[in-house]
Amino acid sequence: MADAEEDASALSSVDLSRVALYGALLAVMAAILTPIEAGLVTSFKTSPGGVSSTLPFAPPTPEFFTLSKWSAALNALGRGMVNSALYAIPATVISAFLGSLAAYGLTQAQWKPRYKAPLLALVVAGIFIPYQAVLVPLSRFWAVYAPLDEWLSFLWALGINDDYVGILELLITHVAYGVPICTVLFRSYYKNMSIEMVESARLDGASLRRVYRRIILPLSTPMFAVVLIYQFTQIWNDLLFALVLVSTESSPAAPVTLILAGLGQSQEGVDFPLRMAGAFIAALPTLAVYVMFGEEFAEGVAS
Amino acid sequence: MAELELDALTKVFQDGDDEVVAVDDVSVEIDDGEFLVVVGPSGCGKSTTLRMVAGLESVTSGRIRLGDRIINEERPQNRDIAMVFQSYALYPHMTVRENMSFGLEESTEMPDDEVRERVEDTAGLMGIEGLLDRRPTELSGGQQQRVALGRAIVRDPEVFLMDEPLSNLDAKLRSQMRTELQRLQEDLGVTTMYVTHDQTEAMTMGDRIAILDGGRLQQVATPLECYHEPANQFVAGFVGEPSMNFFEMRYEEGRLVGDAFEYPLPAEIDEAVAGATDVVLGIRPEAVELVGERDGGHDFPVVVDVVEPMGNENTVYLEFEDTAETLVATTDGMLRITEDERVTARIPEDAIHVFDGTTGEALHNRTVVDEEVASVPTE
Amino acid sequence: MRDILRTVRRRLTHDDPSTDGGTITEQRPSPGATQRVRDRLGDRFGSDFVESLPFWLPTFLLMGLFVYGAIIWNLLISLTDYQGFVQPDYTNLDLEMYAQAFTDSSVVSASVNTFLLLIAFTLATLAVGLGLAILVDRHIRFENTFRTIYLLPMSLSFVVTAQFWLWMYNFNNGVVNILLGVVGLGPVDWLGNQSVVLWAVVFALMWQFSGYAMVVYLAGLRAIPTEHYEAAKVDGASTLKMYWRVIVPQLKGSTISASVVLMVFALKAFDFLYSLVSGYRPPAGSDILATKMVREAYSNLNWAYGSAIAIMLFAMALSIIGPYLVYQFRRGNL
Repeated sequence: MADAEEDASALSSVDLSRVALYGALLAVMAAILTPIEAGLVTSFKTSPGGVSSTLPFAPPTPEFFTLSKWSAALNALGRGMVNSALYAIPATVISAFLGSLAAYGLTQAQWKPRYKAPLLALVVAGIFIPYQAVLVPLSRFWAVYAPLDEWLSFLWALGINDDYVGILELLITHVAYGVPICTVLFRSYYKNMSIEMVESARLDGASLRRVYRRIILPLSTPMFAVVLIYQFTQIWNDLLFALVLVSTESSPAAPVTLILAGLGQSQEGVDFPLRMAGAFIAALPTLAVYVMFGEEFAEGVAS
Repeated sequence: MAELELDALTKVFQDGDDEVVAVDDVSVEIDDGEFLVVVGPSGCGKSTTLRMVAGLESVTSGRIRLGDRIINEERPQNRDIAMVFQSYALYPHMTVRENMSFGLEESTEMPDDEVRERVEDTAGLMGIEGLLDRRPTELSGGQQQRVALGRAIVRDPEVFLMDEPLSNLDAKLRSQMRTELQRLQEDLGVTTMYVTHDQTEAMTMGDRIAILDGGRLQQVATPLECYHEPANQFVAGFVGEPSMNFFEMRYEEGRLVGDAFEYPLPAEIDEAVAGATDVVLGIRPEAVELVGERDGGHDFPVVVDVVEPMGNENTVYLEFEDTAETLVATTDGMLRITEDERVTARIPEDAIHVFDGTTGEALHNRTVVDEEVASVPTE
Repeated sequence: MRDILRTVRRRLTHDDPSTDGGTITEQRPSPGATQRVRDRLGDRFGSDFVESLPFWLPTFLLMGLFVYGAIIWNLLISLTDYQGFVQPDYTNLDLEMYAQAFTDSSVVSASVNTFLLLIAFTLATLAVGLGLAILVDRHIRFENTFRTIYLLPMSLSFVVTAQFWLWMYNFNNGVVNILLGVVGLGPVDWLGNQSVVLWAVVFALMWQFSGYAMVVYLAGLRAIPTEHYEAAKVDGASTLKMYWRVIVPQLKGSTISASVVLMVFALKAFDFLYSLVSGYRPPAGSDILATKMVREAYSNLNWAYGSAIAIMLFAMALSIIGPYLVYQFRRGNL
């Protein structure tokens, strides 16, 4: 941040390069916001009338204004929001916690770096695996080798729709594919923690487990914020696993992204206002998280 | 309390296919209640030695005995030792009280009120009772230092290990803490092993000092013994500031011959040196005298190159004419002396050290007289 | 003071230096069998190895099963003829699926598209990101606001951004065509024209991720000491020269890590393409390996064929990650 004095003098001397700088910054900002703004105004328009007779980035004129698209989208997506939250929240918490534990065991615990390095390479590689490479085995695993819907038949007997097994499968799947990034994020944090501090605690008589509990965990709070936010965004936004494990948007267990991907599609064409309203509703939790914890999110993606 | 013995302690690090010997066959016995300072240049293996005693590094070979236990294989937490780290390693999320209680809670079954009482007693002892509910980040460097010490003391261990605990303090605070730490150790009577690279700390604090170089133990002795009767050239050069002057010489019947000058040897030194050919003549700067006129074979004409006035004394760099050899002398601060002046330097025969030119071992050390001992700088 | 010490010491003498829980190994004259195994493992792997197992093992088991186990299994499936609703037959393994894939023109064009998308998207995003980072780094006001807005699209789901761009690229009413119309160009059928659709997708993805590249570069720029800027100024370099010759070369590390992440995002662009059309078949001309694989497996039920394509995709990812891991290892980051 520049100090105010410098800024003031820059402004008073009408520095051309400064004007150009802010002009460029604002132009990029407009470019970034245009698709979102166009989506927002469109979501309040009637279709097809409002869509075709007003400019896409102009607000709706009163005659074409409607809230019906939002209520329709909310009706369609409400169930999906709940479903998504049902697996996204626990999966986020579990994968962050497992990642923290693993990162601790791989950094502050004293064992030979020669053996740690290949394990770490596996973790880092695990982040970058294209999920397509595991999809077929994944669906076979859940269908044939871990038939949760048979194991949990007592739940269905209680009147819970057996489609909800998909939620549980998604939860476990997201934990499994989320732990590598969580581990790496926590590792970079723990690596910069004072080794002497942990050694001191060991000399003080604390076991590895106690050191985690009393020293590392309390000091990890800032990193937990980063990891939880990043992880939640990733899991909430995912479509691929939802598509493969739940498959149809008509399923009662369909996550929000799955429903949104097929929203407003009909023979006559796409109902854009409905889709835009749906997009905003689906994006609401991640947007809220982003607005509240933008700093942590930036830190998460940068590392 | 107990004595600590290191017996042929060796540490070999694997660096790829290379083996690096960090600590090589170090044997030293630290008496019950003794304050031993381990000193040496960086990379000499002093910290590794300390970390092996703490159990933070594995022992390649040799034994560590604490009292009647061999603790080589013990886990750090079972060794009954406390360590003060260079960075203090205070737990930032805990208050001073929690920092100090931590060790007692983790390593003993002591009831809470007793832990509390002991922490408060120790805090009183360290003069930090007013800081008990603060966090480390709210403390000054000196206060953090005290907390780190207090955290070690409260556990009442058999041995204190200290790894350059004063090096993060500014110069004034450091000399203050030096005295305080020394008095505290004396009062508590806990066997202490103290690692530093600072030879002032070594000289002033230790009952004895152990000097390490290249992983090998060079000498273990009282500070004054190391100063006046160094076991070898390394110790002679390492202890003392400015360091001892060295001249490479050749031994010839009754005298030493060098590039710059010849030095006639008195009979008893001649006897001790005889048999060697290449030797090193050593003389401490404060033993060099500047005299008015040449009087005998131990006086040499020199030119003043640089004078560094320190106030109480001057450090004078003298050059032998027509050679590159220099001689450093410390003289009285009142002595008026200017650069390029021609003077006569006397190297008194009772103050010289002679070392073997190849092994570096001391062949002859200076004679120590009470009067000389009294002039050793103390702080 | 002496009194305190004496009481302190008296209280200490009867203390038993026992330990807390049972997890600490105690050295006893005759260690039991488990203790011996423990010691042996400790000697081999390091003192904390056994104690640290419960911390990292769950993660590794999970990852071993779901990531690495699944990849090997996938490889196995790709060697079978598994399709439809029957069970895979693991007794008859051959490379038939790969032979088929290499002669399948749609796989070849999907590979080309994947490659083009990867390169174009990564380069464009890095360039824009670097430019933004330099702008934001020039001591601007409201820096946080600008940064937050630039990174905003990254927090959105591919499914969501696909909706926005579907509307942006709309032939009749889309913002893009209307803006082009103002300067007398277009309209262009962005998603319907085979020769432009891929670039339209690249642009949309760049919109979403240039903020990410900016954040990475900004961190890199902030790590460069101010002295370097000042020294370059004193040496008489113009602003442009200063960045080009002094600053940008120091951003090598940021460039490498950002490109790896961006390429992996590009390989995963499936979600975006699927959502554009609400189906398995993306707009003609924008089919990539990721979409082709899912379509073959889940739409056509050609499981083995899909797996083979997945392995090709994996090989592509590996050729990016492998060198990156070696690079990180050399720099001592592993």
